[in-house]
Amino acid sequence: MRFMRAAFGCAALLTLVVANAHATEPQRVLLVHAFGHAYSPWSDMAGSFRAELVKKSPEPIDLYEASLDTARVQNAGDEGPFVEYMRALLSGRKLDLIVPVGAPAAFFVKRHRDLLFPTTPMMIIGADRRRIPDATLTDNDTGVLLDLDLPAYVDNILRLRPKTTDVAVVVGNSPVERYWTAELRHDFQPFADRVNLQWFNDLTFGEMLKRAASMPPQFAILWVLLSEDAAGVTYSQDRALETMREKTAVPIFGLGDYEMGRGIVGGPLIQTQTLGQEAAGVALRILKGETPGKIHPPFVVFGAPIYDSRELRRWGITEARLPPGSIVQFREPTVWDQYRWQIMLAGAIMLAQTLLIAYVLFQNRKRRAAEADASEQRQEAAHLMRVSVLGELSGAIAHEVNQPLTAILSNAQAALHLLAQRSPNLAEIREAINDIVHEDNRAGDVIARLRSLLKKGEQKSEQVDLNELIKSTIGLLRSELIARHIQVETDLPSGLPVAWGDPVQLQQVLLNLFMNAMDAMASTPNALRRITISSRAVQSGTLQVSIRDRGPGIGPNSQDQLFKPFYTSKDHGLGLGLTICSTIAQSHDGKLTLANHEDGGALAVLSLPAREFLVAAQ
Amino acid sequence: MFTVYLVDDNPGVLKGLSRLLRAKGYDPRAFSSAQEFLEQHDSAVAGCAIFDLAMPGLDGLTLQQVFKAGGNQRPIIFLTGKGDIPKSVQAMKAGAIDFLTKPVNDVALLDAIARAEHDDAEARQKQAELAAIEAKIATLTPREREVLSHVVAGRLNKQIASDLGTVEKTIKVHRGRMMEKLGVRTVADLVRLAEKAGISTRINA
Repeated sequence: MRFMRAAFGCAALLTLVVANAHATEPQRVLLVHAFGHAYSPWSDMAGSFRAELVKKSPEPIDLYEASLDTARVQNAGDEGPFVEYMRALLSGRKLDLIVPVGAPAAFFVKRHRDLLFPTTPMMIIGADRRRIPDATLTDNDTGVLLDLDLPAYVDNILRLRPKTTDVAVVVGNSPVERYWTAELRHDFQPFADRVNLQWFNDLTFGEMLKRAASMPPQFAILWVLLSEDAAGVTYSQDRALETMREKTAVPIFGLGDYEMGRGIVGGPLIQTQTLGQEAAGVALRILKGETPGKIHPPFVVFGAPIYDSRELRRWGITEARLPPGSIVQFREPTVWDQYRWQIMLAGAIMLAQTLLIAYVLFQNRKRRAAEADASEQRQEAAHLMRVSVLGELSGAIAHEVNQPLTAILSNAQAALHLLAQRSPNLAEIREAINDIVHEDNRAGDVIARLRSLLKKGEQKSEQVDLNELIKSTIGLLRSELIARHIQVETDLPSGLPVAWGDPVQLQQVLLNLFMNAMDAMASTPNALRRITISSRAVQSGTLQVSIRDRGPGIGPNSQDQLFKPFYTSKDHGLGLGLTICSTIAQSHDGKLTLANHEDGGALAVLSLPAREFLVAAQ
Repeated sequence: MFTVYLVDDNPGVLKGLSRLLRAKGYDPRAFSSAQEFLEQHDSAVAGCAIFDLAMPGLDGLTLQQVFKAGGNQRPIIFLTGKGDIPKSVQAMKAGAIDFLTKPVNDVALLDAIARAEHDDAEARQKQAELAAIEAKIATLTPREREVLSHVVAGRLNKQIASDLGTVEKTIKVHRGRMMEKLGVRTVADLVRLAEKAGISTRINA
């Protein structure tokens, strides 16, 4: 019954007709599987071969596959009907190459070749060289065979896990597996004193799993082949190996690259890919007409050892233990590996942002520094202008100090004279001294005002009583005004809200406006020389100080230039006065405007924001 | 008591100077503006004036001009905040006693006032003499005035009689009466007096 199932179920006929149909008959290749399509490692070898052949062949290829299950069954005598079936299947079709995959398939083909395909060339692939001795091959045969170095597997285990005491060899109980069990036993003999070998060929898979799950750490498993266990249950290896991996307490080592990624640690491995490629090359040569017996393909041996990074990690094997030239696969993709582009993009964006932010910060700092610089320069310029204005006024200011000094000297000398009298008038002397004190204070005030104007300093922000400031300014200018025969009219209502700012700078503005007004009236007849200054609070919380002169007014050409630096209508002016005054007004959130008064003369208006809640002391 | 008129726009200075002058026995009168001074000034009072040079309204030099133009002979001393040569020259040419710089030392100030006092006294004395002469001249008849002018011009009686179309005898009578009224005995005295009175020694007729 088993045979019938195998014969009918597995005689899958796969016809691959490569496109662009050729005029000539396609070349026909038959792949003969020993177990079934799904049994590793043969399925992997066949798959690799098939793909390579189709890819490399210049001609279309008709590919047939037939699968025996005979490798697993014990009695070769049951093959008769299957042979009949094959014959029926292939009758009338000329085969160009027959490819048995694995030794059992090769044996089958050999047994029935005369009947089925007497003249067809044969290329055995995937069998070990010791299974197919050269002597068994005819001129019409060749083989791409393996040369397995079995002790290398144990060496590998001991290299990676030197403390290993026991190696459990997982191998099934089919004929081919029994063959290999014997081979392994033989080849592993040199290790007898190093490790204790346990053979699982007489266990069911369930028992194997149980053993594997309870093994102490100094054990290791060598997974050879499991197509059928002791109970006769067949396994497609992929699944069995993966199940074992889930259960095992110790590392599993395997034989070929087809097991990579399914749970083996790795090491020297059968290269199914290489084998498939080699075989495809040889097949093409045969299809072109070369005599198979004259092609002597090299044995396929182990390539560079290959390891599974995940398994190495799982069993705590450092990569330092691996032989030189090893290839480590399945490195856990790091976040970097997985999202390289995203990370780079995000990084680039972040970098760009950082740069942008840094740039913005830098610019901001630069701007601040520039602002600080500008502010400093403005203060500097304002200071220089104050010094310059005060320089012009030095005579007048000296006079202002001179007046109290005169009073002081007179009082002091009067007191001396009084004291020299026979009966000094003490009351008069006391008054003289009181006047000295008073006049001295006045002189001190002038000096203090002068000093504050001359001082260089940060812009202050404090309450400023504009009326007081105006009076003080007029006080400083008194002598100059008198000397220039200029009368001053004031209209300074009490109860004015205070302004907020730097009194020195604001006084500087007033001084400057006064000086301009005074200069403007140089040609005005003495009797008409008059400056009118008034303060008032206008709606929307603004304080205004208006200064009007009786000069010729602002010329039509000057109007636009007034606030421009270095513009001056004076003979000795620098042209910075109004520029600086305007700057000061702006830095106080105010403004300075100049216009002609309707009744003649120029009118300067300084507007400043008022602090409503504070009313200047009366 | 010698009066000192003080004109200065600075109240402190006025007060100090007043105190000093009072202590030295003067009679200071303080004015804070030229206008005020001009209004209240009494030329009859013996004394001098001290003007501040720089004042609002009329400044010191202008005040000097206005004051003198009003016929006032009173000696003037100037005080100034700063030495200004052109102004001091102008002031001195216009007859100022002195041109002092503030703050002024009492010695310099009192010295100037003393000179002013002397000048004022002299001027007042001259003024008084002139007034007396003029009073005497005022008592002359027109004929006697005519004879006076001819006499001081050096004419003889005969010549005068001829000039005036009369006889020598009549002229002699006029001349005797005129000399008596003016209180002079010799022609030399008469000429000196006429000179003081500003009567021309040349004959206009």
